[in-house]
Amino acid sequence: MLKADNSASFKQYLFAMVITWFLILILILRYFQLQILGYDQYSKKANSNRIRKITTSAPRGLILDRNRRILVDNLPTYILNTIPGELIDRKSTFRAVSNTLELDSNMVSKNYKKYYRGKFIPTRLAKDLTFNQISRLEENRIDLKGLYYQQFPERYFPSKTRASHILGYVKEVNKEIRNSLINREDYELGDITGWSGLEKSYEEFLKGKRGVQFYQVDAYGREAGHIIDFLPIAPEPGQNILTTIDINIQHMIENLMKDKKGVVIVGVPETGEILGAVSAPDFKPDLFTGRISEQDWRSVLSDPDKPLVNRFNRGLYPPGSIVKMVTEAALLHNQDFDPHKIEECLGSYQFGDRVFGCWSTEGHGSVNLTMAISKSCDIFFYKTIDYYNLDILSQFFTAFGFGQPVGVDIEGELKGIVPTVEYMNNRYGRSGWSKGALLNFCIGQGEILVTPIQVFNYINIISTRGNTSLPHFVKLNKMKKNKTLDINEEHWDRIIFDMKEVVIAPLGTGRNADPNINGLELYGKTGTAENPHGDDHAWFIGWMELNDLKFSVVVLSENGGSGGSVAAPIARKIFENLVKENRLLSQNDIK
Amino acid sequence: MILNKSFSYSELPFKIIWSAAFLCFIGIVVLNSISQNHTGGFLSNPFTKQIIFLIPAFLLSFIIIHIPRYSIHKYSYAFYFIGIIIVLLPFFSESHAGTYRWLNFGLPFSIQSSEFAKIFTTIALARYLSDNTLHMKKFSSVIIPILLVLIPTIIVLNQPDLGTSIVMMTPILPMLYWSGARPFYLFLILAPVFSMLTAFDTTVFSIWAIILGITIILARPILVISLFLFFGNIFLGLLSPLMWNSLSKYQQSRILTFINPEKDPLGAAYQIIQSKTAIGSGGLLGKGWGEGTQTHLKFLPVQESDFILSVLGEEMGFVFILTVLSTVGFLISQIIKNSYESKDRFSSLALIGIATILLAHVFVNTAMTVGLIPVKGLPFPFISAGGSFLVTCFIMIGLVSKLSINYVD
Repeated sequence: MLKADNSASFKQYLFAMVITWFLILILILRYFQLQILGYDQYSKKANSNRIRKITTSAPRGLILDRNRRILVDNLPTYILNTIPGELIDRKSTFRAVSNTLELDSNMVSKNYKKYYRGKFIPTRLAKDLTFNQISRLEENRIDLKGLYYQQFPERYFPSKTRASHILGYVKEVNKEIRNSLINREDYELGDITGWSGLEKSYEEFLKGKRGVQFYQVDAYGREAGHIIDFLPIAPEPGQNILTTIDINIQHMIENLMKDKKGVVIVGVPETGEILGAVSAPDFKPDLFTGRISEQDWRSVLSDPDKPLVNRFNRGLYPPGSIVKMVTEAALLHNQDFDPHKIEECLGSYQFGDRVFGCWSTEGHGSVNLTMAISKSCDIFFYKTIDYYNLDILSQFFTAFGFGQPVGVDIEGELKGIVPTVEYMNNRYGRSGWSKGALLNFCIGQGEILVTPIQVFNYINIISTRGNTSLPHFVKLNKMKKNKTLDINEEHWDRIIFDMKEVVIAPLGTGRNADPNINGLELYGKTGTAENPHGDDHAWFIGWMELNDLKFSVVVLSENGGSGGSVAAPIARKIFENLVKENRLLSQNDIK
Repeated sequence: MILNKSFSYSELPFKIIWSAAFLCFIGIVVLNSISQNHTGGFLSNPFTKQIIFLIPAFLLSFIIIHIPRYSIHKYSYAFYFIGIIIVLLPFFSESHAGTYRWLNFGLPFSIQSSEFAKIFTTIALARYLSDNTLHMKKFSSVIIPILLVLIPTIIVLNQPDLGTSIVMMTPILPMLYWSGARPFYLFLILAPVFSMLTAFDTTVFSIWAIILGITIILARPILVISLFLFFGNIFLGLLSPLMWNSLSKYQQSRILTFINPEKDPLGAAYQIIQSKTAIGSGGLLGKGWGEGTQTHLKFLPVQESDFILSVLGEEMGFVFILTVLSTVGFLISQIIKNSYESKDRFSSLALIGIATILLAHVFVNTAMTVGLIPVKGLPFPFISAGGSFLVTCFIMIGLVSKLSINYVD
């Protein structure tokens, strides 16, 4: 029964009150700490919770030829995405998609697995879809819930040329690629980045800048309404690149090199501009866009002629006689050398215990320097090696741009080999080589290896008497020039005169290069480079002058045979075509 | 005795009733905000559900006011046994996601019987402790009340419902203290808990052992008992790491993620992080009613009950949190005041017990939302949605009102 009186004391009452308010106060202080002191921090956190940043890709800049004709364009293709959480029946949807788009049914589900990142995050099912495929899908829209597509500009090559080694290709950025990029913050997965050729060299211009859009999302990552307080940033398209290439010239030399192996480079000697360059065999420029079949891919990869290798800056070749002008310059430079000196060529020459032959086995008879160039006599040069030594000759080769990259604006250029005493000692040991090496070197054989782009620079140097810019595909404001050569005008006159003899002298080796056109002045040099790996490489280098125009040409037919009979005729066709094309090239284009 | 004398309504403790009404109103406002975009049935919408459950809640508290005080006293043990039966019943029906908390009578909603049992236990405790013949200076007088509470607590703990069992247990200490038990005995009740908690760190455990020894020596019980108490506690402490291993994985993870929230950012810690983010981003004045991004974009979990204060903090800001916590503090201290001023010991003890239950709910729930203690599924009185809990809150208000009225004997 309720007889017992309340026995609680005031002390107990006070204690209970203190405990109660103490606990309440702790809670209030904690809220104060979070809401007043921590407000900024938690506001940011709440915003980053709900705001999803979606970036929009910027169209990549175009690559144009010198007359602003488009070499590389953007083709609007489509990517098909799905929001996995919105799919009603995944299997049947995928089946319907691959049927409608006429795709391999495994590919859709394979992609789904590969790109899946969350229930409410767009997942890629297929890419490189055409507008046609998308419209077919759109007709069946009602049946296919949870499918979305987005535009994706793919590289596209509308011109008649291939120019694959010049233009290069792009790659989609994946994690690995992204980590390898220096400015990786600028890239997102799925972006494209230049991976070779001009696409890579001028990436920073072509790339453009992504735009940003903000969406509000809920805890499941679903889009939930728009955001007013964060303004979108529009994407900045990439800049167009104006190259020095002429589509017609490029197309012409590509045709000439069809089914051949080798290199042709055509350019403007004074400026180093490259009008066209072919590394044959080449490949279709859209090989890397993903729109090409597996079969084409394999045939390119398995081709023994290695179409993917860029021969004009990565191919290393013995130059043969085309570098005799370097030796000529070295001879003329020595004041003890008599420019009118005559040597007997009997077809072979005994040096020490070795016999060195001339390419003409019956011999050239009495030969002076000019004839040694025009008839490409080797014996003359063998007999005159005492007017210089290995290192002096090396210095001349270096001065003409060999043994170092010319710095063409396509990555991966090799520097070749110009032998020096130090090089020979390192390679063969101090007593492992003899002066005989110089006999090979002076006629462009032996250790020396050059790239076609170096040869192109070399012919430009001669034709402008050392006053030319280094080779390039895109003209920038300030082009690098070749170093000035220590060769006087008299010697330049002689060298150039001798090169004219090559194409006009009755027994000139380069006569096959002369198209016999009125007013056309032609200069050249042939080369038949022996190489240990197979048949001789055929070279022709030279330049033509017509009115005020000047074009330099390098022709290399890999394992083609004799320079005079294989490379020179190709050069002749090029000169003929350049004259025909002449009316298309206005004065301004060249200068 | 004129115990069944009719009373006048003007004697009701209006400060308490108005405080409860105010809190209830705030709760409805918040629930209305949450329910704005709610799709689904009438009863799954927390706002309408709350409004509906207010009807039986009011009704019950109104009935309780008219029950004679001696009847409450007389049938308290009977209700205690009913309480035990109803917390046992769920074990005989199908489990609810692995738990046995809910009683289903075929109604569109289920009843959480432990909510009612905790009140019955408190009233029974008040009756036992208010017995005239009880000598509080004896230790045995402490043992029986503890058993009285432990029986339903252990059942609820096995449902399993850690939060409710904690709330069920807490009134014992203040009620024993209120009825004049020796503080040493209260210390002895708490000692095993400390022994278990400190056992995980050697240094802390050593310090605790020293405090334990000194306290026992100062209290001077007979030697055998002293030794039993001391070594019993030490033994318990040594045993507790083994007991830890017997805890279920989810209980372990809740305690562990509380200690180190980075360990499990998507589990219990995720809830705490989102709750703190919601509260912190509310600032002084809040984002505005219905404007809470954490709430409406569903970053905030169980927002209608366990984390309703986080919604309030986000949308209405610190100003309203301060108001709510002050109000609830005022409400509890009013009950304590009435308990102190009560003429009979039964009412006084029942009031202090109810005050403790409310304070336990408030503290555990609020401290959880701000990351002071591990996540416990406990709602906030009068504000959180929840049928059974809302009804029990109003039963408590009914009891408080009834027992606060003093009679001139």
